[in-house]
Amino acid sequence: MVWRTHRFDSMGTVVSIMVRMGDGCDEALAEVEAVFRSLDETFSLYRDDSELSRIARHELPLTASSPTVKDAYETALTWRATTRGAFTPNRPDGVVDLNGVVKAMAIESAGRVLGAAGAVDWCVNAGGDVLYDGFSPEKRDWVTGITDPADRGSLLASVALFGQHRAAATSGFSERGDHVWLRGDSEKHFAQVTVFAPNILLADVVSTAVLAAPAGELDDLAGGHSVDVLAVFSDGGLVVTPRLRVQLAA
Amino acid sequence: MRIRAVVGAVIASGAVILGGWEAGAQHSTTLTTQVATPGTGVTGSAAAPQTSSGSTASGTPTASAATAPGATDGTYKGSVVDTEYGTVQVSATISGGKISQVTALKLTDDGGRSVQISNRAAPILRSEVLKAQSANVDSVSGATYTTEGYLSSLQAALDSAHFG
Repeated sequence: MVWRTHRFDSMGTVVSIMVRMGDGCDEALAEVEAVFRSLDETFSLYRDDSELSRIARHELPLTASSPTVKDAYETALTWRATTRGAFTPNRPDGVVDLNGVVKAMAIESAGRVLGAAGAVDWCVNAGGDVLYDGFSPEKRDWVTGITDPADRGSLLASVALFGQHRAAATSGFSERGDHVWLRGDSEKHFAQVTVFAPNILLADVVSTAVLAAPAGELDDLAGGHSVDVLAVFSDGGLVVTPRLRVQLAA
Repeated sequence: MRIRAVVGAVIASGAVILGGWEAGAQHSTTLTTQVATPGTGVTGSAAAPQTSSGSTASGTPTASAATAPGATDGTYKGSVVDTEYGTVQVSATISGGKISQVTALKLTDDGGRSVQISNRAAPILRSEVLKAQSANVDSVSGATYTTEGYLSSLQAALDSAHFG
């Protein structure tokens, strides 16, 4: 069992993996890449030939899409209801965009591939959204650094995984454009929202929803799910949930 | 009175209730406290003076709160107590002189907000957040970077270190 690192481009960003594994590591990492590639080929709106692009051009009705797309859409709609529309697969221009769930799906699948191949300790970081299992190379709880939205070259905080959390996701306006579309009744309150959660989809969805919803809904979103949040207001101010506050001071 | 004191002590131990309340907004969820076991140094006689002298809501959350020597088995309702998290009321089930279960009866304030309130985000000063040491970080979470943006990201620096 040795530590291996691997990185590749996918979904318009970079995926970085650390994994402690014995035999079969190359095959597992190749399979992880294939998982990302396959989902990107299906869901990317940057590829003219993807299923989602064909749906966006009305060449293919959503109702006639593949089970993978239907499942992802159903997942996204469920979260749209749960977050009262703050997280939504429906872009203001009417295009169905499942980016918000697909990266998390890919990360989750990557973790399953690594686990099935016998890996116990691993970390998958896809463009700043991270899922962990086991322990770090230093044999301690995995430590996540959170970037400072005002200075992406520095860290705002670092947090060791705690409680049931295995995932960290951050949503912000600072990179890859305004990927988040604000809900109708909302203004741009937060510059960045980081969420720790037991799984990556929950972390991803809640971070997006908190960013997109009015600031007052943070507590409902954080309280309704087993998550912890560190949010940075546009003016640089910070708010944090109680358990995470303890970790930040630890 | 003794039972009320015990229940009060449990209420005062807000962490017992709220710490076990991560599941969310189900008001009927039953929460189990840690039950003192023989041999741990918490005996009935040691606990008795503390519990009998405590007032309803001012008991301290010590291990003695989990014992109720001489109490009749049954379920007892605590009084309604205001905590920093909102209004709280619990019932305790006594079995064999020990609290075997604590159930939250009321974890809602007058505004009808649920116990979600226990996960309310509050301001924190940057100076309260310990200076993050990037050398001790395993992975970086931030707004999604582009493939080009990655090159100048902290994650890239970290990967370079890891990838040797």
